Amino acid sequence: MWRNSLNVLSKATFQQFLLKSVCQKEQIRTTFILKRKYAPLLSKKGSPPKKLKARQHIYELVKDTKLEKRPNIDVILTSFVDGLGNIGEKVSVKPQYGYNHLILPGLAVYATSENEEKYKKYALRDDQVKYSSPNALLMIHALQRMCLSVIMNREHVWTLKPWHIKVSFRKCGYVVPEDAITLPEKHIKGPDMNLENKEFYVTVTINKSEKVNVRCILHHWSTDLVNRIPHIDKFWELPLEPMYAEFKDVLSEIPKKSNNVNNNTI
Amino acid sequence: MASKAVKSVKNLGVFQKPGLFDKGVGALLPEAYRKFYKEWKETEPSAVHYIPEEGKWRRDELTGEVQPIQNAPIPLTYPKEHNSHLWGGEAIIQGFQLRNKNSRRVPHFWVPTLKRSVVHSEVLDKYFSVIVTDRTISLINSNYGFDHYLLKTPAYDLKSLLALGLKRKVLKELEAGCPTLKDQPELQKEILNKYMKYLNAYTSDEIDWYGYSFTEACRRIERKIEEQETIVPLKHVYRAQLIDKLRAAHIEEAMTQSLKSSESGLGTTWLQKMNPFGKKKTT
Repeated sequence: MWRNSLNVLSKATFQQFLLKSVCQKEQIRTTFILKRKYAPLLSKKGSPPKKLKARQHIYELVKDTKLEKRPNIDVILTSFVDGLGNIGEKVSVKPQYGYNHLILPGLAVYATSENEEKYKKYALRDDQVKYSSPNALLMIHALQRMCLSVIMNREHVWTLKPWHIKVSFRKCGYVVPEDAITLPEKHIKGPDMNLENKEFYVTVTINKSEKVNVRCILHHWSTDLVNRIPHIDKFWELPLEPMYAEFKDVLSEIPKKSNNVNNNTI
Repeated sequence: MASKAVKSVKNLGVFQKPGLFDKGVGALLPEAYRKFYKEWKETEPSAVHYIPEEGKWRRDELTGEVQPIQNAPIPLTYPKEHNSHLWGGEAIIQGFQLRNKNSRRVPHFWVPTLKRSVVHSEVLDKYFSVIVTDRTISLINSNYGFDHYLLKTPAYDLKSLLALGLKRKVLKELEAGCPTLKDQPELQKEILNKYMKYLNAYTSDEIDWYGYSFTEACRRIERKIEEQETIVPLKHVYRAQLIDKLRAAHIEEAMTQSLKSSESGLGTTWLQKMNPFGKKKTT
């Protein structure tokens, strides 16, 4: 009996200092929850509980919470996270991902009312790097990595236009609207076999805010089998010359895919 | 009152077995430790592995019979290893399964799933690689941080010595005003504001004695007592006694001698006297 009374006492004292205002949520069970198959015998008022019999140790599984889906947790980002959001944004993520990849590395904090107020200021500030969408940085990296093959006609006269680039992007699986594509100031005209297999660049604007330079290579194509130039395998890995000397500076800034590949293999 | 009287009569003439704190070194332990021990070992942990029935009485739906509700907690076992892990209230259950209606019951152990993960303490400014359960992580998440979880959860739910030891360290750090964050005064202030409210529940003596196992606490008090004692060599004691006796006998030579051995030159060893390079201590 004294043990029970102690239980009640100490729990009461603890409740005094457990402030309910901060994060008192419902208890979470992520474990085996069992039930007795045979109920234990009732004890008399004031006397200690009766000794359990062997059959009262037979348990039935009520629930194994490990198999259940756990609710998402809310976090506030403390920096831009790829595919999630900007600084100061409140996002709901899966608990394991949130804990391991956001909270522990310090990319996010728990969404308490204090933290919400604290990071509200950050969200309003302009000096932080911000992106137009959570996936903007991913998109920038993807475009920088690619080497776009622009295939033009060998027989008819042409001047390179944004829609040519749009078609080339579409062949690679990228849907790029025409107005997002900006060509370099110097016009590229053809057919010109001097330009064959030479590098140039186009600028893609993502969400009308982020600008990315994309490395392109010009190839000529003929409907006549005799004039057709044989395909070069893995042209993106070869060291190529820029089409004009003006392009050299911009092209050298774009990280080249071939270098990475070589580094990895070595 | 009547029941109390009956009880005291019942206990008359019955040998009261001495408890942990009634005999040996245990009797020397301070009240602060006893309070912690009571909270840790002698309080029923909150229900994790079963759902306690609420209310006082239950009525049978069919017969209308009323029966009292007595929640008998499922007996839990804590292995030695759990003291170096954070199980978040989970434990091992030893019992039986009745897999088939017609077959004999089968012994079964329900064991928590353990995994290695990292916990971060803001107050200590440290990351710990520890073995945890999923429940621990979800408790940390629902309490908005490891420090909040430690400070909010009473000892009977933390259970393991690792968690209790960490809690003591956090409490001590808070009491000292976070000296580890001296270089970042803003952060220090913020953290102190955040966690100071938890200190109200403890006195500094209680913090000092929080989270030790019984044997650790005994070793600690023994060491403390040992440190307080200063060992005086017997030769000094006997010398003082002799001088006292001589003085009592009114012998003139004894009157000029000092009772303290250090002033008489006995304090220096014979080796120091022999050593030509050794300097005599000037006190």
